[in-house]
Amino acid sequence: MKELIKKAKFKEHLLTAISYMIPIVCGAGFIIAIGMAFGGKSQDALVIGKFNFFQAMATIGGKGLGMLPMIISTGIAFSIAGKPGIAPGLVTGLAAIAISAGFIGGIIGGYVSGYFAWLVLTYVKVPNWAKGLMPTLIVPFLASIISALLMVYVFGTPVAWFTAWLTAFLKGMSSASNLLLGAVIGILSIVDFGGPINKTVFAFVLTLQAQGINGPVTALQLVNTATPIGFGLAFFIAKLFRKNIYNKEEIETLKSAVPMGVVNIVEGSIPIVMNDIVRGIVAAAIGGMCGGATTMVLGADATVPFGGFLMLPTMSNPLAGLAAIVVNVVITGLVYAIIKKDVPYEAAEPVDSADKEEDIDLDDIQIS
Amino acid sequence: MKIVGVSACTVGIAHTYIAQEKIENAAKKLGDDVKVETQGTIGIENELTKEEIQDADIVLLAVDVKISGEERFEGKKVVKVSTEVAIKSPNKLVAKLHEVAGS
Repeated sequence: MKELIKKAKFKEHLLTAISYMIPIVCGAGFIIAIGMAFGGKSQDALVIGKFNFFQAMATIGGKGLGMLPMIISTGIAFSIAGKPGIAPGLVTGLAAIAISAGFIGGIIGGYVSGYFAWLVLTYVKVPNWAKGLMPTLIVPFLASIISALLMVYVFGTPVAWFTAWLTAFLKGMSSASNLLLGAVIGILSIVDFGGPINKTVFAFVLTLQAQGINGPVTALQLVNTATPIGFGLAFFIAKLFRKNIYNKEEIETLKSAVPMGVVNIVEGSIPIVMNDIVRGIVAAAIGGMCGGATTMVLGADATVPFGGFLMLPTMSNPLAGLAAIVVNVVITGLVYAIIKKDVPYEAAEPVDSADKEEDIDLDDIQIS
Repeated sequence: MKIVGVSACTVGIAHTYIAQEKIENAAKKLGDDVKVETQGTIGIENELTKEEIQDADIVLLAVDVKISGEERFEGKKVVKVSTEVAIKSPNKLVAKLHEVAGS
């Protein structure tokens, strides 16, 4: 069973779909944000003569974001079955939208339609003269009809019910629960600096955003934005304590890590953290916890799921977002400046060799 | 030894390129001939040519997502890892490649 799950590569397919989805969410998210900032509202349809420019903007963006269940479904099915997965993934995703199964429905639909397409491709054998019918008719028709009907009559209703319940629950949360959720998201989003834990949380908060709950994804990205800046600030705070916490090479790293952080890329600070993993993660996690909690409690809801400082203008409350970044930066900086040991400026070149590296887990390697 | 590879991560703007750099540095240190294609959000860069793939002793895929053109490596010895492994332990990974290619 474990072997089978590994072979099914659930995570790889989901990540592939997310990688296709992010640019779409960012594009549509910024358009709807501009439209709504100037009073536009997303319309069901644009009737000639009955809308203004900003309503048009909000509607364009809204339509794009409304397609997310279809996009994630198509992406997953494509990842599983390749090009033949696109048609059934798209049809099943639209079925998920139609039955209000939302983003979670889209994810399930993607797996179901993708594996059906793959099964048909693998096990349905046709005579030579019908080979051309395989990709044009047989795969799309069989995989679409089975998975879309499954969506409508089997998965759709319970998933729609669950989605509605989750959405209502999260929207109705008290500030104490918001504080807790924000803190947890803040910690989890930063403990592995863009690694698998971060990506899992990212998939979860994107699901929430597709249901119109923007707080959690904002919390996650603001923590990613603030952490590298926090490490930069730590340099100056440490100077106040007459400590020098970075060597020459690390300072060079920071010069690019901090601007990368401003646009939401946390990975630039990985080399810094690698040099002192425990202290680096402690500082980042404590700062992230506070930043995440601040975001959720003050309600800095961004309509785009990526962009760092560029997310601020899309927020329902940009000042809250700014406050969360400041809190996170200061706390990460302060904690790191305090717990990090003094290092000489001219540190010995770190030995870049195999013995200092983590052992590779054989489970992580796939040889063929 | 000749190594060709592809790196690709989820967001496609950071891990992809860090992995590329780490693999190339680690391989060059062992005197390998190395080229890593990146498939980021921007698309394919540093694309591998047919000849390079043909001449390679081993193919390294440091990928978290489905990549395009995986069929190019059919029949070659392929090692697949996540970008995280390539970033955290590039030297050990390249040593492993030598082991696999040698066997």
